[in-house]
Amino acid sequence: MTLLSSFAATLELTRYKEIRAALFHPDLSRTFDTRTYEDGNIRDGVVSIQHGAVHRARRRVENTQFRPDHLRLYERELFPAVMNDLLDRLLVGPEVDLFSIGEVLACVLASRRAGLDIREDDLDELAVIAEFVDVFSQGAAILDAKDPDAVRALVYAAYERFERDYVGPARERRQALLDAHARGEIGPEALTHDILTALLAHRADAALELADERRIVREVATYLQGGTHTTGQTICNAVDLLFEAAAERPDLLERVASDRSIAQRAVHETLRLRPTTPKIRRRAVAEVTIAGRTIPPDSLVVLDVTAGNRDPELFGARPDAFDPDRSVAPDVPRWGLSFGAGPHICPGRTVGGGLPAPDGDPDDEHLYGLVALFLQEVIRRGVEPLPGRGERDTRTERFNRWAHFWVRVGSPRAAASAR
Amino acid sequence: MGVTVTIDPELCIGSGDCVRLAPDAFELREDLGVSVPRPAAATSDVDLLVRAAIGCPTQAIRVVGPDGELLHAGNTT
Repeated sequence: MTLLSSFAATLELTRYKEIRAALFHPDLSRTFDTRTYEDGNIRDGVVSIQHGAVHRARRRVENTQFRPDHLRLYERELFPAVMNDLLDRLLVGPEVDLFSIGEVLACVLASRRAGLDIREDDLDELAVIAEFVDVFSQGAAILDAKDPDAVRALVYAAYERFERDYVGPARERRQALLDAHARGEIGPEALTHDILTALLAHRADAALELADERRIVREVATYLQGGTHTTGQTICNAVDLLFEAAAERPDLLERVASDRSIAQRAVHETLRLRPTTPKIRRRAVAEVTIAGRTIPPDSLVVLDVTAGNRDPELFGARPDAFDPDRSVAPDVPRWGLSFGAGPHICPGRTVGGGLPAPDGDPDDEHLYGLVALFLQEVIRRGVEPLPGRGERDTRTERFNRWAHFWVRVGSPRAAASAR
Repeated sequence: MGVTVTIDPELCIGSGDCVRLAPDAFELREDLGVSVPRPAAATSDVDLLVRAAIGCPTQAIRVVGPDGELLHAGNTT
């Protein structure tokens, strides 16, 4: 069964510049219609599928949670402490599942950012959050689901538990703080700093279309899922690609372990070659001319990000190769279009991927991204993939999703003094 | 004579990309959730301004030259 049918026409784009132009086009919408995945829509009203003024209003509020000063605090203080604690506890035994470790680690940080109050050192509770993430990830990728009806049922049931056990209590606490702040009883420093708080603080603004409580639940779920799943997938893909490349270039492992800039470039190459969303869809809301073709309203436009990210015009003569030393033009992101572009560009791209890596040494303000820190640390700790022990997620057509990624822990690499 | 830089507040989503690229030319107004040009934008590095305009997620930035020409017309590469 497919959720994508009955469009006026279908256009597939595979070149980088054409895809990028489509992502910027104001008449190509992420909002589909009732024939597709909005029929019993599990993501009704979330920012990811909003279009136009509502989307922009929501992003204005939510983008405040991704400012560099705040991200530096995460990257330099919070994340290393959480990461080392969890790796000490979880990276033990002859075989461990790196995907589940990556998800659990990302759950801690994504929960904070989304606005959930969890016991961050409680592995059982983190497993519950990871389970929510898994369900919401299936919902986010429902256009590629093999059984969309089953996914819908799962997601609806998860929303109920998610609201009862997490968003409800978190909302109550935050609203009380906001009310106290409004009465002048507490200062702004006493407020929580997260997506849920930002939404509650602005929900009276009709432009946000947040009157429905369930929209707030879905929005928080969207940020929890978005902040978690890509990290878990990308760390596994990075280890997979890095060791594959190291068979011919063994120095790569030591370089990643000792130089965070190389680790960041390895992550960017990983994102380029294995985008979280291999094919992005848009619906034409008016007649659109793109890539030299004019398509009627209600056409489906498929943007093949995997192909665009391997466009030799942008990425050189060997675009399929995993090469952290790849040279690209200054305005071309090393991750290609994997974080999207245009109005819907991933708001968390700097959290996961850091700031664009400069050609020379980064300055003190640079952010490497959490996945680069994680990759560097697991390589330093001697993680090696177990050949043939990666298990793909068979519930989706997306080719690059892992269900498990089994690794062993060998001898530590690189000196502790490495940057 | 410098360039004229404007940001459409209806289009801007406050991503902050322009501020990171050209902090002398742009600043974030957190109370509004949008970026605005700084007075120094008119005399900022034009290449940086054009890159900011091209990279703006919502194409909210306009950089107009002394003769009234849009310096980044139709360029979204």
